[in-house]
Amino acid sequence: MAIAANEVLDCKGLACPMPIVKTKKAMEKLESGKVIEIQATDKGSTADIQSWAKSTGHQYLGTTSEGEVLRHYLRKANPDEVKEDTKFPHTVDNVMLEKVLEQENTVILDVREPAEYMFSHIPGSLSIPLGELENNIEKLDREKDIYVVCRTGNRSDRASQILADKGFTKIKNVVPGMSEWMGPVEKFQGGDK
Amino acid sequence: MSNKVAIISSNGGLFDAYKVFNIATAAASADQEVTIFFTFEGLNLIHKQAHQNLPLPAGKEQFAEGFKSANVPAIPELVEMAVEMGVKIIACQMTMDVMNLKKEDFIEGIDVGGAMTFIEFAKDANITLTF
Repeated sequence: MAIAANEVLDCKGLACPMPIVKTKKAMEKLESGKVIEIQATDKGSTADIQSWAKSTGHQYLGTTSEGEVLRHYLRKANPDEVKEDTKFPHTVDNVMLEKVLEQENTVILDVREPAEYMFSHIPGSLSIPLGELENNIEKLDREKDIYVVCRTGNRSDRASQILADKGFTKIKNVVPGMSEWMGPVEKFQGGDK
Repeated sequence: MSNKVAIISSNGGLFDAYKVFNIATAAASADQEVTIFFTFEGLNLIHKQAHQNLPLPAGKEQFAEGFKSANVPAIPELVEMAVEMGVKIIACQMTMDVMNLKKEDFIEGIDVGGAMTFIEFAKDANITLTF
């Protein structure tokens, strides 16, 4: 299954430092929260892209490989994403979520981008990216306990507020979410890496 | 934490040029503020004519082919990219005087300065490199 990206950057055949230089330029044009796929054949690019993401604060999602071609996925961070500004009053922590995983009547709603979900998510969780939530409300059962999760608790906070506005009452925002999730995950197994 | 990278470039071969400009452009890509101080043979790397055709070290001529097949960008291309990304280039006044070189002999967009110009920038740099 292909991984969804908003932009594709072709760096195939380019040597260091070109993949990084081109990534920087492409990232400047990308909207916050969007995902870019960087295609490269430079074997050093896997380590370089991760280091670059770390030093610039953008989110490295993962890499797949197919023959000589590496596909790196990055998500452009929002400048205020790092600061935790939780407003939705009903939250649970990761430990609590792990305890209710097996319970009936529980839905785990993952509001991250599809590419983030593809690389790693909680088994059985439902993927609806934050930006598409309002158009997919009917996929959710109001009678169930809905645990909303994202990477750090910010997008899920916004999602929880959207759901509360729509009349949902059994909503819990999971804080922090996937960035520190220690429970079971389902990982993307594609590629021959 | 400072985000400055201070580099001294004092050798004038093709290998030296790649070391300097690869590190500089990578750092600039990661939003670092980069200044390179070119001194002695390092001035070759920004000399209008010389930087177009830098020598490989003696006995390493066979690597010319490798640069081509690895699709490594040419030095003038890397220099242009570095300048475009805001890498600051300082040519050493003292060396220029010794070698009888003028600012016009160098690529566009450089500054000329002395050791103190570099030290002033480097004093709170987080990374300092010498090539």
